[in-house]
Amino acid sequence: MRRYLAARLLQALGVVIFVTTFAFVMIHLAPGDPIAAALARPNITDAMRQEWRTAYGLDRPVGEQYVRWVANTARGNLGFSFSHRRPVRDVFADALPNTLLLSGLGLVLSFAIGIVVGVVQAERPGSGRDRWLGRVLLVLYSVPDFWLALVILMVFAYRLPLFPPGGMTDAVMYEYLSPGGKLLDRARHLVLPVMTLAILTAAGVARFQRGALLAVLPSDWMRTALAKGLSWRAAVARHAFRNALLPVITLFGLAVPAFATGAIFVEKVFSWPGMGLVVVNAIAARDYPLVTAGVMLLSVLVAACALLADLAVAAADPRIRLG
Amino acid sequence: MLRFPRLSARRTRSATLCIFATLAFSGCKGLEDTKSAGPADVGGTLVISTPSDAGTLLPPLIAVITDRQVTDLLYDRLADIGDDLNSVGDKGFKPQLAERWEWAADSLSIVFHINPRARWHDGVPVRASDVRFSVNLIKDRALASPALPLVTNIDSVSVRDSVTAVAWFKKRTPAQFYDLVYQVSIVPEHVLGNTPAVQLREAEVGRRGIGSGRFRLAAWQPGTKIELIADTANYRGRAKLDRVIFSIAPDFTAALTRFFAGDADIFEQLKAEHFARFANDTVRRMQRYPTLAYTTLTMNMKDPKSPAQAHPIFGDRAVRRALTMAVDRKAMLRNAFDTAGVPLFGPFPRGVSVADTTLPQIAYDTTKAKALLDSAGWTVGPDGVRIKNGRRLEFTITLPNSSALRKQYAVLLQEAFRKIGVSATPDVSDIATFMSKLAGRAFDMQINNYVTDPDVWGFKQSWSTAGIGKDGSNSGSYSNPLVDAMLDSATTTFDPARTRAYARRAFETLIEDAPGIWLYETAAVMGLDKRIHPAGMRADGYWSHLADWWIPASQRSARDKIGLRPTP
Amino acid sequence: MGAASIGHRSDSSVRGRLVSDGRVRLALGVLGCVALVAIFAPMLAPYDPRLQLDISHLQSQPPSFAHPLGTDTFSRDVLSRLMYGTRVSLTVALVAVFLSATFGTMLGAIAGYVGGAVDAIVMRVVDAAFSIPAILLLIVVIALWGNLSVVTLTLLLAGVGWFTISRLVRAETLAIRDADYVVAARALGASGWRVLTRHVLPNAIGSAVVSATLSVGNIILLEAGLSYLGIGVRPPTPSWGNIIEEGSTRLSDVWWLTLFPGLAILVTVFACNALGEALRDALDPRQLLPAHDDAPIRMNG
Repeated sequence: MRRYLAARLLQALGVVIFVTTFAFVMIHLAPGDPIAAALARPNITDAMRQEWRTAYGLDRPVGEQYVRWVANTARGNLGFSFSHRRPVRDVFADALPNTLLLSGLGLVLSFAIGIVVGVVQAERPGSGRDRWLGRVLLVLYSVPDFWLALVILMVFAYRLPLFPPGGMTDAVMYEYLSPGGKLLDRARHLVLPVMTLAILTAAGVARFQRGALLAVLPSDWMRTALAKGLSWRAAVARHAFRNALLPVITLFGLAVPAFATGAIFVEKVFSWPGMGLVVVNAIAARDYPLVTAGVMLLSVLVAACALLADLAVAAADPRIRLG
Repeated sequence: MLRFPRLSARRTRSATLCIFATLAFSGCKGLEDTKSAGPADVGGTLVISTPSDAGTLLPPLIAVITDRQVTDLLYDRLADIGDDLNSVGDKGFKPQLAERWEWAADSLSIVFHINPRARWHDGVPVRASDVRFSVNLIKDRALASPALPLVTNIDSVSVRDSVTAVAWFKKRTPAQFYDLVYQVSIVPEHVLGNTPAVQLREAEVGRRGIGSGRFRLAAWQPGTKIELIADTANYRGRAKLDRVIFSIAPDFTAALTRFFAGDADIFEQLKAEHFARFANDTVRRMQRYPTLAYTTLTMNMKDPKSPAQAHPIFGDRAVRRALTMAVDRKAMLRNAFDTAGVPLFGPFPRGVSVADTTLPQIAYDTTKAKALLDSAGWTVGPDGVRIKNGRRLEFTITLPNSSALRKQYAVLLQEAFRKIGVSATPDVSDIATFMSKLAGRAFDMQINNYVTDPDVWGFKQSWSTAGIGKDGSNSGSYSNPLVDAMLDSATTTFDPARTRAYARRAFETLIEDAPGIWLYETAAVMGLDKRIHPAGMRADGYWSHLADWWIPASQRSARDKIGLRPTP
Repeated sequence: MGAASIGHRSDSSVRGRLVSDGRVRLALGVLGCVALVAIFAPMLAPYDPRLQLDISHLQSQPPSFAHPLGTDTFSRDVLSRLMYGTRVSLTVALVAVFLSATFGTMLGAIAGYVGGAVDAIVMRVVDAAFSIPAILLLIVVIALWGNLSVVTLTLLLAGVGWFTISRLVRAETLAIRDADYVVAARALGASGWRVLTRHVLPNAIGSAVVSATLSVGNIILLEAGLSYLGIGVRPPTPSWGNIIEEGSTRLSDVWWLTLFPGLAILVTVFACNALGEALRDALDPRQLLPAHDDAPIRMNG
């Protein structure tokens, strides 16, 4: 077990280093630099931009900049964001909780819905209900995510102005609301983006859950359980479900990082100030420290989640023994 | 347009009284001579919906428009430019931190008398040493202030006594006074002086915004809002509004949406497509405002592949003129701005004092354009694209993806050129790539936005030979000795009438030479909530008199009633 | 797991299951129509997709008899643009998938068959690639090119599309490598290449085809997403994604710009997914590999 864990950790570390270095090199090779983007006002001269480049060492070779970045990162200094003109750490401290709130709710909701729908489908595979649900799921699974977000925005914020069209809170009045009013305001802003995320992801989860259940249903112990007189639902709940949950755990491990980058499109359409938006904008602004730190944070998350999912599967599945 | 009052001796007294009165009733109107706003009309909240956050609140380091807006409201200058934006001598300038000034006989120094009642927002009095500190800071190379090239004519500032500063200049120039009082906002030495200049770029102290303006910083939540409240004890009188909130949206559309949802009172950059929404709107209206920004399609005079040579297409004046003739600027303006577009008459916005809208133009005429290209040797090839000596008449139009207007124009222009047998491809890239292409002169045509200063210097930067290279913004490398001479004369004469005459000659030549196609004046229509009563808008910033804008007491909404209580 | 059954499946039963499957008929019908539109766009489209009819009077017209899907903000006919956009979007997706499927299958088969260091390296690369969402990877890489052509975009999309297929084919190969008849072929002196092409690949090809069909849909979505962010197919070349992008700032008034291209994407992707599923069901009716071949959570967020 310890050896397995050590090997997995080492592998994860390797992936993180590789991915981060790749992002660092790519973004430095791209045309333009953070100064060109941050000091883009037309009446600032190129000569002044050059002074800033020198001041920040951006005129040094990429290798040297990389070494300096590694040294700083090792000391826990993620650097200073050019586009936000704040420490990278502060930018993340603002954006990450926003993403976690949106994604956390989206994840929980979509897995809850997805698993239930998957189980309902698997109860009578091939029945009318299963096929009908399957088609709906396939349609939802085929919707372009940004388009669904745009359509939901169009319908529920513009045509029927039931919900605010974006943002996390009322931009002006939030701080002056009563505690109850604040909660309500937040909830109202959450509805549309969470709904979009839940619809998009639940479709995938349900399809996966159905497949996973069908794969374990024909097994001997399921047949035994049914023979013992357990109802189908009880048998599923006692035996099959536990086994079918394993691939779903793996899926969860995959989904967490995908959500943590932020559902980029959902954040964009609903103006949600989360990680996805921050990192995408940072790329356009060539904000080297922010991009590199963002990719690093992301790949750590991915590696950690994959590892946790593996361990969770191992813990849940008695057949796997970790050597 | 509302005039800022001169602080004559007679009025100074009433101003003093008023400041005391402010402590007792918040109804004091201060110094303003507005007739329509009654004493009860002080108060209310103005919300500006903007897609860009500020990066710094330190005037020498401002880089984006929101930096400029917020710092203009937080910090005072020695004197404020007049509404006609004259930059020659001190004509029209109104006292701010300096209540009066005297010129030396040789004009190489000016004595400024600081208003003894002026206070920083933390209560410390404003001193002459703050003026010296502000000038030294902007001139400190370690800070690398983008404004540094603008203040090179200021030699130094010395402190005669605590309220008397003497500014020394290297040369006597028409704009020397303007260079100091307009380009240098006065910042507090006691707040910033302890941080080395090299650290100020990243220091937290640069985000505190302690100035001496009529608004003070209440809160700055990055990416969310910047909230200013009236500085009730201000030496120039309390602002009429209680607070001004810059409500920051992640993008243009979101900012626009907030405005139409009623969550904001101002949206600055309306486009034609939004105008129809005002037709039956009882709450909002459109308001034109002057700006100093203009957008042109600039042609590269040099071959981007070998910059020593003339551009194979745009090196030819006849081709440049033909391309200009192919563009129906009126129809494009209508497409982009509906009826509210402001045409360009040359490479200048209407707000500058040297603007001249009577200059003769190259008229839209595709027949003439085709004939001109034919006679220049560019004949129509098999696929409809013109060819000359085996070279196709094709090029790219470079522009940044950040601007919806410019993207719209790129598509319109491409089609206009196609109609005369010219193949143009838009090259849309993010702002960083766009800027690096501009700096490297690696483009054929580019749709560029120029923001000029009120003085003539900006035109020299953008269109004279002196502006070619890294110290200027003449990215098309346009060079014409006549234009150079005229712009030189315009920047050195002390007679505003002659400045205008020289500039006119320069612009006339530029239009005839067609090194660019003059597209439109930028961002000239805002959406405004009807309960807001603006008090004059200057072309260098509609927010220049924001402290005098007001909201009638009878029309207050929920957010107007927050009052002066501090932000939680 | 289940590979043995795939190795011994009968082709006629697969064909039978496919022919009797309603989804297949529906999907093929839809895809056929879309393909016809793409091929005959110049004949079908009522207008030149680039033509600005009248920029100051005919812009942003709602759907009408003259313009069934309305006009865009530049007074161009949306139906014509959508038809030409079909060409671009479909070509990009099909070419990208063909390239990535070929490459992924070869690499997966080689890695699985050869094993050892080759396998370890390939799989670590795939692991690393899986640890960043494709969309983020693409945005970083696309930043390198100022104005990338449709060809480059296709290559890039192909470049991020082969991971799943190679992982899948490798798994299949591993299972088959030690099957009796492969061992027998090797014992009879067949060369490694011959074993790979004659025995291993034909057995892995079924799941590769399923995966490729499903990834056509994914690539269409990815291209649309990139174009929506303004970094995919560049205007004025119409693609489904960038027509939506043009409309996204005009949701409240010019809604037809957003709605119709989105429906086109939805229908096409749905048909690809339906076809892919039907193929999978036909090849592996018991679905012993539950959804192993399509990324259940779209990693492009």
